[in-house]
Amino acid sequence: MMTISQIIHAITSGEKTAEQITRESLSIIAQTNPEINAFVEVFEQDALAQAQAVDAKKARGEKLGALAGVPVAIKDNILYKGHKATCCSKMLANYVASYTSTVVEKLLAADAVIIGRTNMDEFAMGSSNQTSAYGPVKNPVDTERVPGGSSGGSAAAVAAGMVPLALGTDTGGSVRQPASFCGVVGVKPGYGRISRYGVVSFASSADQVGVLAANVEDASIGLEVISGKDVHDSTSLEAPVPAYTKQFTPDLKGLKIGLPKGFLDGLYEDIKERLLAAAKELKKLGAEMVDVDVPLAKYSAPVYYIVTSAEASSNLGRYDGIRYGYSAQNAPDLHAYYEDSRALFGLEVKKRIIIGTYALTSKRYEECFVKAMKVRELIKQDFKKVFEQVDVLLTPTSPTTAFRLGKEGKNPLSLYLADLYTCPGNIGGLAGISIPYGNDKKGLPVGVQFYGPILQEEKILNAAHCLEKTL
Amino acid sequence: MDITKKDVELAGKLANMRISAEETALYENQLKALFNWVQELSAVNTDGVKLSQSDLAAFVRPDVPVQNAVLAQELRDDFAAQENDCAKVKKVL
Repeated sequence: MMTISQIIHAITSGEKTAEQITRESLSIIAQTNPEINAFVEVFEQDALAQAQAVDAKKARGEKLGALAGVPVAIKDNILYKGHKATCCSKMLANYVASYTSTVVEKLLAADAVIIGRTNMDEFAMGSSNQTSAYGPVKNPVDTERVPGGSSGGSAAAVAAGMVPLALGTDTGGSVRQPASFCGVVGVKPGYGRISRYGVVSFASSADQVGVLAANVEDASIGLEVISGKDVHDSTSLEAPVPAYTKQFTPDLKGLKIGLPKGFLDGLYEDIKERLLAAAKELKKLGAEMVDVDVPLAKYSAPVYYIVTSAEASSNLGRYDGIRYGYSAQNAPDLHAYYEDSRALFGLEVKKRIIIGTYALTSKRYEECFVKAMKVRELIKQDFKKVFEQVDVLLTPTSPTTAFRLGKEGKNPLSLYLADLYTCPGNIGGLAGISIPYGNDKKGLPVGVQFYGPILQEEKILNAAHCLEKTL
Repeated sequence: MDITKKDVELAGKLANMRISAEETALYENQLKALFNWVQELSAVNTDGVKLSQSDLAAFVRPDVPVQNAVLAQELRDDFAAQENDCAKVKKVL
């Protein structure tokens, strides 16, 4: 698939029409999706109509938007009026969006073509895309392996060349980890940079919409389009959105990059080797590499699982068959009605609700939930201090490369540890980007990650853009 | 942290979810591992850390009545029956 810049150039120069580009995307999806399972629905007719509208706009001599004719995939938890949004759960199997999310409105306003909705872990809970009611996604790099999760469909769609840009959501690493596993770029902006209006809630204090693309420039273009304050989301921040690609510099002179102590301890050797290779190249680009300490970041994962599960237990309370979700038939009383309706949640979702509900019981509230919230505050302070010393941080994205389908290990914590390096970003509200930086000895993609402070996405995008060029 | 079968059953009941015997056994083991891991947080000194009520309430997103008349009508239009500016649904019991 062409890059966004190539598509824009092809359409504006008259080399191709938006309809031709859309048909190419649809053709690649038709060929590859039966095996990869990245898309759970393709909006063929709507997409072609949108592409034809772009071509008509061009024919009238009107100014085209920043994503004119660019096919974009959206994760199945992002609302698009008149289209299903199921969160890949049986609970929402027949839910049709009654309004359009702000991010999709912004894509449409930029003349993008919404090509379809992508597979995901059920309600975005998982790191391997194996909890989807539509079946697992296969990693296009090696179809016996997982694509990561929960935005595994979006990452696989980009990696397989079905689309140049896809939206995902990231509550603990769900954009960056699948990007790392599939060898693509994944950006989670800082908390509040993008509106979540019309995005199904999992954990409201950590959820963010993110973008997946084949390269940093495309990811930056996509991010710029969907960022900004939205009156419909009070957590979105009032701040100008920079033209990210115009902030790119040829080198990184003057940039201080922190390498956090402890993030390399016990790291899989091939990933460590790629991370240190990236650090070496960044130094050659003029950046100053600094050893820094974020002592409490190691507690991010347990904090994450308590806080986000507690929030999920509240947010998912609305799927009771009355407000939202499957409505049970013939229940003898109200309690049975709720239980029958909520029986359609999958095992992982039920488990997170159980964890969250238990952490909020009077028996465990202080010991678990309040304690986790306090540690979260201290982690945020740690990050604040470290960003007084450096501009960005360089870390691994994931402790492993893509593992085999169904082989996540018997340790119940093994999948949770997949978020070890990504969930600090959600706990701290930071901006993060994962970019592919070579392969491990099995030939699987290795991602490295940059973190930056809130509302300073341009710094991590520029560092990633410079590093990308060294491969 | 001691997690028992009863804890899992209580959480299931509070969450209005029916948990089978197999699920209870599975979750009991998984919750034991998770909450033992979470106990690592006790090593962090959080004395003096203050949380605001909004921090503690942040996990609840309030249901805000729709004020936009056009949007409200669009939402009502999704229902087959309407009455007195409300969507009318079948009795569930």
